[in-house]
Amino acid sequence: MSFIEVTLFLANGFVFSLIIFAVTLICGIPLGLPIAFCSMSRFRPVRAVSKVVVWIVRGIPLMLQIFIIYYVPGLLFGNPVFSNIDRYIIGNFDIPQDGLTRLLMINAGSLVSVLIAFTINYACYFSEIYRGGIESISKGQYEAGYVLGLTKSQIFKKIVLKQVIKRIVPPMSNEIITLIKDTALANCIMIPEIIKQAKELAATRAMIWPLFYTGVFYLLFVGLLTILLGKVEKKLSYFN
Amino acid sequence: MSVLEVKGIKKSFGRVEVLKGLDFSLEKGEVLSIIGSSGSGKTTLLRCLNFLETADSGTIAVNGKVIFDAASVKRLKESEIRENRLHFGLVFQSFNLFPQYSALENITLAPTLLNRGTPEEIKAQATALIERVGLSDKTDSYPCQLSGGQQQRVAIARALAMNPDILCFDEPTSALDPELTGEVLKVIRDLKNAHSTMIVVTHEMEFARNVSDKVIFMSDGVIEEMGTPQEVFLSPKSPKTKSFLSKDIEAV
Ligand SMILES: Nc1ncnc2c1ncn2[C@@H]1O[C@H](COP(=O)(O)OP(=O)(O)OP(=O)(O)O)[C@@H](O)[C@H]1O
Ligand SMILES: [Mg+2]
Repeated sequence: MSFIEVTLFLANGFVFSLIIFAVTLICGIPLGLPIAFCSMSRFRPVRAVSKVVVWIVRGIPLMLQIFIIYYVPGLLFGNPVFSNIDRYIIGNFDIPQDGLTRLLMINAGSLVSVLIAFTINYACYFSEIYRGGIESISKGQYEAGYVLGLTKSQIFKKIVLKQVIKRIVPPMSNEIITLIKDTALANCIMIPEIIKQAKELAATRAMIWPLFYTGVFYLLFVGLLTILLGKVEKKLSYFN
Repeated sequence: MSVLEVKGIKKSFGRVEVLKGLDFSLEKGEVLSIIGSSGSGKTTLLRCLNFLETADSGTIAVNGKVIFDAASVKRLKESEIRENRLHFGLVFQSFNLFPQYSALENITLAPTLLNRGTPEEIKAQATALIERVGLSDKTDSYPCQLSGGQQQRVAIARALAMNPDILCFDEPTSALDPELTGEVLKVIRDLKNAHSTMIVVTHEMEFARNVSDKVIFMSDGVIEEMGTPQEVFLSPKSPKTKSFLSKDIEAV
């Protein structure tokens, strides 16, 4: 197998990493907000439930959560939905012999379970970052809004929100960079993300070097993220 | 008829009674200074007037209309409270400007969100206000680019933009370096000359004596002494006032 072929083979895996990365951010970033509001709710039961959920999700390994989401529907309700989806697609569609489309089709169900696990996990982490950001805004900002006759929602949207965003950009950047590396955990339920692909080469062709070569993919992507997130931070640096 | 009529205002935090029944009134165009030692309840009084705290008993009437009655306050809708509090403006000790907005945007934000005119009208009014506090050259500066005194002047303009009947100041110069207090006090003096009705909590005795029409000395949640600056400063009746004023002279 040539260098180019190995690169393409690994790139197919990295597409899975990127899908997990993108979906987790697109769903997890908004989902974190209601969780944060629940954690700050005036109603004790709501606050308690959301704190327990956040505690559990942050307290156990993400890999275990992937297993839980993947296996629990089968164990508890006798319906292993995610592997059933995989089986259904394999049984009812024309699957190409190889390539990315094939990988996506035969793993669609398992991929959904991974996306759910990642989204819940990251939403909980994000919610704690949001909560910290919201609570760090001084009472004076709200009071200045109140005495000008603004409503609570105007104060949140027009005064507090941007200040919160500015404060959460650095911790969010950390989480986002951690996320792309966490996508490797998906290989615990055989999702062909990039490291799984490299392991496959090691097993079938006795090639070890592709395993280390995967690091280049991560590094390039993290470099890109660092530049983008730095730009966002810079954009918000006009005030403090 | 008085612009402001406050009757029997009481406020407790837990078991501590911070305001023990305050009565006073204010005529249109008057400046009332409130002096008193730390913890006597001055800030709490201003916060009750601005509905940041809810008094436990008493009434507040503006222009003859009762806008707050502790007995019936629970029945008010949030929108009514918002409407009522606009009779008052409040300038904070720590300015509390909105950091992400320029000086001008700080002033136009509330009138814009509350539809107080067309964007052009609101901008024209804000420009006039910023000129009035002497900051025409700082229109586009952000709060972090302004000195404390400049920030406080923007905060005053911001409060004026909602046309309050009564503008309240809570120690507007306490957070400022001494050399910056003058510019803020000058703005307040100019407002007095333009017949604004104001309540100023202050530790600046010179200012209270020269600018106010009326002075209240508060002590332990009661109005210990009330009168013209001459009466309170030159011939105080209460021993507590006397001792407070003599301490102040010593401090200077
Ligand atoms: N939210 C609150 N909860 C509990 N106690 C409070 C609260 N706000 C004020 N107090 C108490 O009420 C009393 C009066 O406080 P206030 O801030 O009105 O005093 P002040 O006259 O403005 O003092 P200063 O000159 O130091 O600003 C103080 O004893 C204070 O500890
Ligand atoms: Mg005070």
